[in-house]
Amino acid sequence: MIKNLSLKLKLTLLFSGLLLFILGGLGLSFYGYLRHFLLSNTATRVRAQAKPIIEHWLYSELAEPPLVGYKVRGGLPTSEYLKEIAAPLARDLTSRDTSALILDKKGRILAAGKLLPEEPPIPPPRSKAINKALSGENEVTYTTWFRGNHLLILLIPLRKAPQAEEILGVVQLATYLRPVDQTLKGFRDLLLASLVIALLIGAGLSSLLVTSVLKPLDRMILVCQAISSGDLSQRVRLPERKDEIGRLAHSFDHMVEQLQRTFEAQRQFMANAAHELRTPLAAIQGSLEVLLRGVQDDPETAARLTKAMFKETKRLARLCEELLDLTRLQVAKNLEKQSFEIGPFLSEVLEQGKLLAPDRVWELTEGPQGKILADPDKLKQVLYNLLENAIRHTKSGDRIQLGWKFSEKGVRLWVSDEGEGIPLEVLPYIFEPFYSGQGRRGKAGLGLALAKSIVEAHGGKILVQSTPGRGTTFVIDLPL
Amino acid sequence: MSEKNKLLIIEDETTILELLKAGLKYEGYQVFTAETGREGLSLLEKEDVDLLILDIMLPDIDGFELCRKIRAKGFDLPILMLTAKKEVQDRVTGLDAGADDYLTKPFNFEELLARVRALLRRYGRKQEATVLIRGDLSLNLETREVTLSGRPLKLTPIEFKLLELFMKHPKRVFTRQTLLHRVWGYDYVGNTNIVDVHINHLRNKIGDQERKLIRTHYGVGYSFHPED
Repeated sequence: MIKNLSLKLKLTLLFSGLLLFILGGLGLSFYGYLRHFLLSNTATRVRAQAKPIIEHWLYSELAEPPLVGYKVRGGLPTSEYLKEIAAPLARDLTSRDTSALILDKKGRILAAGKLLPEEPPIPPPRSKAINKALSGENEVTYTTWFRGNHLLILLIPLRKAPQAEEILGVVQLATYLRPVDQTLKGFRDLLLASLVIALLIGAGLSSLLVTSVLKPLDRMILVCQAISSGDLSQRVRLPERKDEIGRLAHSFDHMVEQLQRTFEAQRQFMANAAHELRTPLAAIQGSLEVLLRGVQDDPETAARLTKAMFKETKRLARLCEELLDLTRLQVAKNLEKQSFEIGPFLSEVLEQGKLLAPDRVWELTEGPQGKILADPDKLKQVLYNLLENAIRHTKSGDRIQLGWKFSEKGVRLWVSDEGEGIPLEVLPYIFEPFYSGQGRRGKAGLGLALAKSIVEAHGGKILVQSTPGRGTTFVIDLPL
Repeated sequence: MSEKNKLLIIEDETTILELLKAGLKYEGYQVFTAETGREGLSLLEKEDVDLLILDIMLPDIDGFELCRKIRAKGFDLPILMLTAKKEVQDRVTGLDAGADDYLTKPFNFEELLARVRALLRRYGRKQEATVLIRGDLSLNLETREVTLSGRPLKLTPIEFKLLELFMKHPKRVFTRQTLLHRVWGYDYVGNTNIVDVHINHLRNKIGDQERKLIRTHYGVGYSFHPED
């Protein structure tokens, strides 16, 4: 279920939880500390009030005991003496908020001080605590509930002399905790209220913070939706921010930019392809129309047109074939590589060139014999395309040269001609599909683009160097 | 037509050039052809050309450029531009360069002919008459009235089209197939016998039983031979 919550809600909940944990813990320890402080304060006060009264009755030189027989003036009190003075002592120790109980050293009750209803009730003494006090502990204190009252119980051992070991009995003082409880309750309410307020503010603030951090994500979602519905011109374009979100948005924009460029190139390619296909189609369509209108009645013209149409269909077929090759190479690099001798291979290519254009001067610059790893059919296609290109741009008697050499990195093949060369402004575009320069219609169309694709599918590189008027050299570098 | 309109075609796509030449010649124009701008320009200077059909993409010169050059040299003749470029900007450039009309490839040959006729008319060149007169037959292309020695003839639309073809191209032998294409349409599916039936009706109407203006070429087709 938590998985389905939005990131914003999750983070807000997390922050609020942490805040609750910290503030709650702090509050609780404050509360405990305050309670301890108030209780010990009360205990100290009650003990301080009781001390002079006990001293007066037990040790005072000036005390005028009601029954003098039991305590010699200046002497030490005895158990009997305690029994005698227990009732008045208890009464003296009792006040509106404290009531006293006197026990002897066996833990038996000697006297209880409570007389008036407003004085605190006296809970029965706990023998365990009494025993502790009787064994000499001065500070036995605990709280208890008795008849609906929260009481603080203090035990004071009564010693024979102020520092004496011997203990005659114990005084149990019970005092109301109502004021302490009221203070604590007030504090508790305050604490709870401030906790709630702090939590609300904290949750609000963290939600605000998270929103500001995650807002770009919302924008990105919108942009993604726009892009998937076909609008590739959309960008996130966040205002300058250097955090992870900013970097993500930047990378995202960059990716879309690349996609759009690829898409645009594809679209342009399609348009060019359609355009290239249209020209021969227009020729065929027009020829057929003219034939049907009556030119068919003249056998000589009809034959000429039919031949021309046949030439156009061949051109169409070749174009389709090249398009298919190009897309195949782009999609999967399906080459059938094998190892073969470079020398005989290039000789064969050269022979083919001679057949195509016997009037050019053909030359083979041989390098060392050796084997290369490539798809021979595809490589032949590349070289034929380069040869055709060379033939097209040379005149009768011009030199066309093929050659190869090995280096540590691979093998280099080249086709070089002494033709008209390629104009400088056209040079960067010659490997682009259907580019034929300055509005001129090139019959090559795809030849060089195809050559580049094939070489690159081999992991190689094709380069061109040309000087207008001097000639052109195509260089193919293939890895071994 | 005794005086033929002279057309010059400058186009480097050989098939398109072939088909234009064949089609326009068939329609009775005198056709000159050139594959480069330079060649075209010299032909233009030599011959008294009535209309120029110009391709935009030429091997030696840009068609727009050539167009400007021709206008700058003061040639006053209709120029019909022919191109594979469809963009509005190209058409605007073409027309601004001095072309009179613009046709994109692939084009419909009928449309090309209509535009050629319209351009020739606009420039006041000698053109096809609206009333064809061959012997005692007269055919008005606008009012679609046909008279034989001044008497009006009632022809069906098919008979009218047949007679129009014959009168436009006297002595030309039309095969049944061609007549079928031109009168019934390229996509007409049926027997060529229907041509014979309608030719027969037409012969009856123009009183051809004794005169034999329409001759039958057995196994080939028909031709029209007016009495001069």
